[in-house]
Amino acid sequence: MRKLYFIFVLWGVKFGQLLCKIFKQGGSMISGKVAVMFQKNFVKYFTNIDYDKVIFVTGTNGKSTTTNLIYHTLKSAGKKVCTNGEGANMMSGVATTLIKNSNVFGRFNKEFLVLEVDERSLRNIFKVLPAKNLCISNLQKDQVQRNGDPDFIYQMFKNSLNKDVTLFVNNEEPRSRSLEDYVDKTIYFSIEKNIKSFVKNDFYDVTMPCPKCSHKIEYEYYNIENIGKFKCSNCNYKSLKKSNVNIKDIDYDNYTFKCGKDTYKVNYINPFYIYNYALTIAVCKKFNIGYEDIQKGFETFVNPANRREVYKYHGKTIHYLRIKQENPETLQNALDTVLRDKKSKAIWMGLYEIKDFKPAYTNTFYFFDCNFKDVVKSNVEKYVCFSKTVCYDTANRMIYAGADEKKIKVYDVEDDFDIIFEDLDKLKTDNIYLITGMKPYKKLKTFFEKGDKNE
Amino acid sequence: MSNIINVGWMYPDILNLHGERANAKSFELVSKKMKVKLNIDRIDNIDELVDFEKYDILLFNAGELKEIENISNCLNNQKESLNKYIKENKVILLTGTTGALFSNKVERLDGYSFEALKILDMDVKERDSVIGDDLYYIANNMQIMGSQIQMIDITLNNVKPFGNIKYGYGNNGNTKEGARYKNVIFTNALGPVLVKNPWFTEYLIKLALKNKNIQLENKKINYDLEKKSLESSKEFIDKKINS
Repeated sequence: MRKLYFIFVLWGVKFGQLLCKIFKQGGSMISGKVAVMFQKNFVKYFTNIDYDKVIFVTGTNGKSTTTNLIYHTLKSAGKKVCTNGEGANMMSGVATTLIKNSNVFGRFNKEFLVLEVDERSLRNIFKVLPAKNLCISNLQKDQVQRNGDPDFIYQMFKNSLNKDVTLFVNNEEPRSRSLEDYVDKTIYFSIEKNIKSFVKNDFYDVTMPCPKCSHKIEYEYYNIENIGKFKCSNCNYKSLKKSNVNIKDIDYDNYTFKCGKDTYKVNYINPFYIYNYALTIAVCKKFNIGYEDIQKGFETFVNPANRREVYKYHGKTIHYLRIKQENPETLQNALDTVLRDKKSKAIWMGLYEIKDFKPAYTNTFYFFDCNFKDVVKSNVEKYVCFSKTVCYDTANRMIYAGADEKKIKVYDVEDDFDIIFEDLDKLKTDNIYLITGMKPYKKLKTFFEKGDKNE
Repeated sequence: MSNIINVGWMYPDILNLHGERANAKSFELVSKKMKVKLNIDRIDNIDELVDFEKYDILLFNAGELKEIENISNCLNNQKESLNKYIKENKVILLTGTTGALFSNKVERLDGYSFEALKILDMDVKERDSVIGDDLYYIANNMQIMGSQIQMIDITLNNVKPFGNIKYGYGNNGNTKEGARYKNVIFTNALGPVLVKNPWFTEYLIKLALKNKNIQLENKKINYDLEKKSLESSKEFIDKKINS
């Protein structure tokens, strides 16, 4: 009876999709939402899904890029594969993907199903779609207004896992790696120490508690923030000497790295991306995708979610780096980009209130999880802090990192960019870094594009 | 008696949730402005015996609730020294979920419960959802602005609140914020609360100075930037209330 009801709902939403197509209306994403509204376990009734070839990708950072990369690489290798590419990573998005890739009887018509899954939705999605592969990119602080502390999400992951799942985890990220205790098979990926690895030895540097015994985790070095070769100061928990997939010989100038005997050439290269490549190689190897096919995928991969843009404005080069507010890793990633540029520069920081969930609030915690100290030492001519809500806190963060107060200008202004950029022409440097969250993105983009035409 | 204020930064790697390391740095910067000699030690190892005699201020930043039981067990082994420290009116600041460490009992969501240090007479219950919002309150004539990520509800028994709420959730949605027993102060405002409110840092240092009978020159410190931050947050909160 439920199956019959499923077919009825499926026909309804497929008919809706057809109408949208005929009348050239958007709304293909709504089909999953409607289906799940009518039948809570809608996803459960699709047939012909080989759960061994269903791959869930979750984690705090990098899940969209890694999902896209795995999907693209499998497709390049000639596999019949689909994904929830539009970033619809909750139950309704999964339903939409299955509706689009099944016939009128709900028979799934692809070989592989690669899904980005929201951390909080993982458990419910697992219940109706028991994937045998779970990739966790990392587990860090993110959206604390919704997720609280990382243990909140950790418990959700833990309660989602079962012994049949093959878990793909980062050997150098202590928290997510410790989920190995709850599955029978774990595949580890890692990257070796390289020229961008770093150590931290400032008095105020902090690490994290060991997920197994609550004592201090010590890092021999970091490849990115909170990820690197680690060991617990108390128990035996530490990075394994050998991972299943280990990236080495990274050449950042020539965009290449090695894995085993194979050399990969890629379009994007920074330590964060390399972890995404490592995870993708690990997945591909499990499904016997060969080096040539993986390489073909990597060299043709274009990331639709790139957060970096460059504008020319008033004769200056504006490097615009967007971050996910409330997420220290993406801010740190932007700061690292600034840091790598040794030339004289000016930095505009537009961090706003957090509006992801209600109520909006003025959380500035994540500023202090990041390391500004090295940026302050990196030949900065001027700092400009703007936004109506947290511009003074942003300025204070710079001061706490040792910035010269005379170099800091604060604009208690929401989005009047003519005012915010009024001093641009007075600067000696033409090298400008602009870091903001998503809130002012569209207005800033328009501002710079309009400015270009006016020049 | 030494004229240096000694701060023990308790378990910085374990009680480290939301950029709280900045609170330790705030002691360094504010004490410089106050022209007070201040030393900060990291107490990294939870198994290590704490030299309570040495310290004037202990800073326990916010940590995950799951870490609290371990730390409670370790400190319970030194309870006598800790009680003496408190009895001598020495200062302790607890922020966020770490308030649970000094409570009577902590009830987890799965039904598990454990006894904590029983210094602040209050009970703690883990929430099934997170409340994230600004928190604005008045304590000891100070305006304190912060944010809270509330994962626990706190019921005060025979202990006084630290502040009265102007906006925010506080302990459990009523008008009371935090708790105070002698100079043990707990606030739900977490993250870099001392950075946003340097007058709070100054207050804690002054408590420690008074406790050591160290006289301080009455000097007005310029907190212009932080005061502007406070005003813009108040404006934002007003808009929220009126929208």
